[in-house]
Amino acid sequence: LFYMLYLTNVKHVLCFQRVALLVASDIDALCACKILQALFHCDQVQYTLVPVTGWQDLGTAFLEHKEQIKLLIKQDDDLGVPPYDDIFRDEDDEEGGDSGNESDEGSEPGSGRREILFDYEQYEYHGTSASMMFFELAWVLTKDTKDMLWWAVIGLTDQWVHDKITHMKYVTDIATMQRHVSRHNHRNEDEENSLSIDCMRISFEYDLRLTLYQHWSLYESICNSCYTSCNFKLWTLNGQKKLQEFLADMGLPLKQVRQKFNSMDMSIKENLRDVIEESSNKYGLKDIRIQTFGVHFGFKNRFLASDMVHATAALLESTEKDESDSDNFIKALDSLSRSNLERLHSGIELAKRKLMAIQQTVASCICTNLILSQGPFLYCYLMEGTPDVKLFSKPIALTLLCKYLLKAFVHSTRNKRCKLLPLIMAAPKDVEKGTVIVVGIPPESETSDKKNFFGRAFEKAAESTSSRTLHDNFDTSIIELKTDDRSKFLDALITLLS
Amino acid sequence: MDSSEVEFLAEKEMVKIIPNFSLDRIYLIGGDLGPFNPGLPVDVPVWLALNLKQRQKCRIVPPAWMDVEKLEEMRELERKEDTFTPVPSPYYMELTKLLLNYASDNIPKADEIRTLVKDIWDTRIAKLRLSADSFISQLEAHAKLDNLTLMEINTIRAFLLDSLNCMYKLRSNLQPGSSKGQFTDY
Repeated sequence: LFYMLYLTNVKHVLCFQRVALLVASDIDALCACKILQALFHCDQVQYTLVPVTGWQDLGTAFLEHKEQIKLLIKQDDDLGVPPYDDIFRDEDDEEGGDSGNESDEGSEPGSGRREILFDYEQYEYHGTSASMMFFELAWVLTKDTKDMLWWAVIGLTDQWVHDKITHMKYVTDIATMQRHVSRHNHRNEDEENSLSIDCMRISFEYDLRLTLYQHWSLYESICNSCYTSCNFKLWTLNGQKKLQEFLADMGLPLKQVRQKFNSMDMSIKENLRDVIEESSNKYGLKDIRIQTFGVHFGFKNRFLASDMVHATAALLESTEKDESDSDNFIKALDSLSRSNLERLHSGIELAKRKLMAIQQTVASCICTNLILSQGPFLYCYLMEGTPDVKLFSKPIALTLLCKYLLKAFVHSTRNKRCKLLPLIMAAPKDVEKGTVIVVGIPPESETSDKKNFFGRAFEKAAESTSSRTLHDNFDTSIIELKTDDRSKFLDALITLLS
Repeated sequence: MDSSEVEFLAEKEMVKIIPNFSLDRIYLIGGDLGPFNPGLPVDVPVWLALNLKQRQKCRIVPPAWMDVEKLEEMRELERKEDTFTPVPSPYYMELTKLLLNYASDNIPKADEIRTLVKDIWDTRIAKLRLSADSFISQLEAHAKLDNLTLMEINTIRAFLLDSLNCMYKLRSNLQPGSSKGQFTDY
């Protein structure tokens, strides 16, 4: 709330000054950026957009623009910040409202603050989505539009897709968004004259947890979605058989199910969600449906929020040649606008390839027992020759692979102790420089509060072995490490966490 | 003349908006506008209305003629008559396109209106083509067409002038010695 007031006041100051907008490379930040851009356009505020991939970039950009710009707004996903009442913030003129990543030196004395800061730095977790916060700001200024609402929904869904928030938080936030959605829908449909078909309609959907199923074939989607793949154990022969039984149980002919979703028979599509839910319950998949939102504009454009998240993430981390990071950033940002549908569709295709690569990598890792238990954690290393390993040199893609792999492992192993271990994964990042990217995720559990302690652990292990590491990512549980230092780094981690 | 120039001229037409901000009278070269008070309708040129709408500072009120029943009547009238019927606004086509592109959420039954206006346009253009055809083939010297809008004239202008030029060339070639190959082409 403190932010809201601060930012509303800031808005009046901004009118005749320029703003530097430093945006981190994840979907929530992109969505928040779009909302801010729309707000700036309304008030014709000049701004400079600077994509940043980590702390170094942030530093360079700040220094570059320091001379010209007085107020600085930085945004990335909102890493958990302790309540403001406990820590005072000292805002000087140089640094402006950011969405809560850093806590500046406070002036409250006493040990309470030190404790809180220690807790804050020990665990890393995510708070409310930045795009939701900016949407609320727009709403307070009564400048909120459906486009902004949709971006806020995408930002929230990004947090869920990439497993950054707990299920409870997701459901609570969905309820908040639902209030805004009903308010917008009510505003436009209360006359008997309905809206033009080209207008954007956002609707609440209790839809299937099958990634991209409306833009793929149902069969492919089931095979490549984490939830179904893990629960059926589709990397085993038994799993494949179970899938065939599942499809037969629902009365869905294979021919239909392998076709593009839009070409399936209407009679099948009509009750698909209920039919699938019923059968899934029989096979032990209790949560096949999830609350989410969908958008609909024009005659053939329907997208679910998760579709957009996957498409934009694939564009953001595209590993095509001749594309720099900032090109990818701009392309991903563009794909969020309604006018750039081909960009979005190309993103969806890239996302499909990425998901298939993830599935195959997961299957091969499990089948060839590449996941080793190192005592306090599980460890998996993707070697250089692995197919599609280039895709996994990027943080978001590798984290997604990591999460899927852990879920799959938990479903496939019989070792009770191993099920409760966290997972660390490493993949080659830059072959010329000889570095790997290392990601650590907390153990898989129903009641996980998604707190990640690997940030500190990595730092300490690197210090104690003087390994050459780069802790540049805003997400401290993702680091870059020299390949040669791998073994000593791991040994240090094992000792640290035992 | 290019159709974008015609659209530019169309943007000078006045349309009613309901602003959500307040501003005193503004004095522009083309005339005075305002004052703007939230919730009170005010007449502004289309170019300003669209700019304000995109910045979410106003709501556009569709002009009186942009109504489904009125447009249906006009369409029937147009289809019955052989000549051109009076138009709702000298820039009806451009205004429809601009307003429906940027402000379709403020205009009820936007899709039907778009179809109706297109029907009216098609009928008129068909009549225009017939008329141009008979003008050229019957070598008439002058014609009078009432109630045409600038956009419609612009559509046929290039074709009509070029074909008349061609006819002239052909006719002059039929009469030897009258003029030998000195024509000015526009």
